[in-house]
Amino acid sequence: MNNTLLSLTIAILFGIGTFLILRRDIVRVIIGLSVLSHAVNLLIVSTGAFAGTKVPIITDDGGHGAAEATGAIFTDSLNQGILAPVTEAGQHVDFVDPLVQALVLTAIVISLAITAFILILAYRIYEEYGTTDIRELRRLRG
Amino acid sequence: MNLSTHIPIILIATPILVAALMILLRKQPGMQKAISIAVSFAMLVLSIILLSQVWSGGIQAYELGEWGKYGIILVADLLSSGMVVLTSFVSFLSLIYSLDYIERKSLSASYYPLFSLLVAGLNGSFLTGDIFNLFVFFEILLLSSCGLVVANEQGGVTKSSDKMEATFKYLVLNMISSFVMLVAVASLYATTGTLNMADISVKLSAMSAAGTLPWHVFAIALMFVVVFGNKAAIFPLHYWLPDVHPTAPSPISAMLSGVLIKVGAYGMLRVFFLIFIDTLDIFKPVIMYLALATIVVGAISAVAQTDVKRLLAYSSVSQIGYVFLGISFGSIYGITAALVYLVNHAVAKSMLFLTSGGIIHHAGTRDMRKMGGMVDSSPLMSLMFLVGAMSIAGMPPLGGFIAKFSLFDAGIGEQYYFAIGIALFFAIFTLFYMFRAMLLMFWGEKRDVEKYGEYSNHGTSLLMSLPIVVLALTVVAFGIYAEPLIALANATAHQILDPQPYIDAVLVRVVR
Repeated sequence: MNNTLLSLTIAILFGIGTFLILRRDIVRVIIGLSVLSHAVNLLIVSTGAFAGTKVPIITDDGGHGAAEATGAIFTDSLNQGILAPVTEAGQHVDFVDPLVQALVLTAIVISLAITAFILILAYRIYEEYGTTDIRELRRLRG
Repeated sequence: MNLSTHIPIILIATPILVAALMILLRKQPGMQKAISIAVSFAMLVLSIILLSQVWSGGIQAYELGEWGKYGIILVADLLSSGMVVLTSFVSFLSLIYSLDYIERKSLSASYYPLFSLLVAGLNGSFLTGDIFNLFVFFEILLLSSCGLVVANEQGGVTKSSDKMEATFKYLVLNMISSFVMLVAVASLYATTGTLNMADISVKLSAMSAAGTLPWHVFAIALMFVVVFGNKAAIFPLHYWLPDVHPTAPSPISAMLSGVLIKVGAYGMLRVFFLIFIDTLDIFKPVIMYLALATIVVGAISAVAQTDVKRLLAYSSVSQIGYVFLGISFGSIYGITAALVYLVNHAVAKSMLFLTSGGIIHHAGTRDMRKMGGMVDSSPLMSLMFLVGAMSIAGMPPLGGFIAKFSLFDAGIGEQYYFAIGIALFFAIFTLFYMFRAMLLMFWGEKRDVEKYGEYSNHGTSLLMSLPIVVLALTVVAFGIYAEPLIALANATAHQILDPQPYIDAVLVRVVR
């Protein structure tokens, strides 16, 4: 579904995330990274929502059986130019690709782990440097 | 069950299981030590077996869960199995080195498990044939390397606040690059409807043949340049490397500089020559000029350094530029040269970082101005540093010479005179900064004892010098008897430039 509102939301989230990453406060940088990761997650989910196309589900026989006869099941075929789920063919169906939801779950779990690590790191930096101002973190002059 | 067909998954699953076991065994350091060394050695043997299987029997595809191309597939071709051998070799030696180098408490509490996870992440990202899986393994190796950078070494030369600052920069930059990678993977999935790299390749070439290649494929390819460029620290994205590699403990610096930045070069070779072949005409010059800028910036910055590990880190930046230069030629000879360069740099630079650990142990500081005359008190380290420095600088009897020679020869054969001119000029810089470090640290007067104190008299232990000597022998062997490495690299380059066998190995199989 090429939903304009969804695209706009993702774009605004990307903007907010980028803005926050460029702030001076470490905590804001971390919140910015969080917002950015959610923007990416929304983007991934949005790539898996379709309407009026074939469904990308594999049947038991590898997509060469009864289910294919209805024309609702997606099987990729290079000869017919069917390469992606986004192909207008067959009857109208609204569906959500289940694979992207698995991808987004993985991405969420990974960003959870990294956020936990970076928050602890920020706390230790605050203990060592006595500030959360990111401009003070230049002892290495890198 | 035939074990030899399951080597790809064993190489990934074993380190993950060992990592869990190490956490449970943290009260028994002796057992941890025995198990991790034994497993690391077993991985080295298994990876060599895998490479010889692939060499004689062709590309191996290993299905996880028998889902065919719709599931995750591990693919071992010459490139990935060769990189796995390199990883296992460097990580085995680094692990032996770290037994005496890392502080006891840090070693058993967090070092062993994270090191195993790092190896799992590296092996996984080399062996996987699924682009989202590649992202997952990137994250595994990113997080575990962050944990390892903050590990404490014995003696405590590096302040922990420095380590945290470096880790923060590393983590933030790499998080942003992993978001870029996720966007790229999601767009690729929306375009082709698959995550399997071979399948994506087939579909994109079909689109390209039909003339319907969407324009955003070029944008996706650019995102992958950013992602792998950030991992490999090429020019505009290299700023984290000279902070992270020096502050990490020396065996971890060896892993980071030896193997981890090579993941970027591997990803570039895999993704661009398999998936984005049709965009290469546009991106070859981009990669080439980025590589040249990397060479220039790294070499000029390295000349001015006073910190020995920082110098080596900037040298890594400069040297990875040469690898990318070879990749950007895009010919068989160019890629062969890039691979030979990659292996030689990995071995020589890990050796130099391990040696610098011994030097720092001995001198009690990382500042080269506070060293001097160490050839008397630490002759082994100075000999080893000389071997490494000569190899990096490209002096004839050692591996670096073969690498630089074949790279420049490939460039001249392809008539990239301007690029080769710049690369050659800054190769002289390499010679200069390496021997400047050598002079400052080992030759000349002994340092002012009243001002900086006496050198510590505990020399490097056997467990620390053994890996360095083994790596030095490898460097010499690659220089004197280079034919097997060049033959392997040449066969790998043929495989990279002709992706059809890879695609056949992955796709021609029955689904369930």
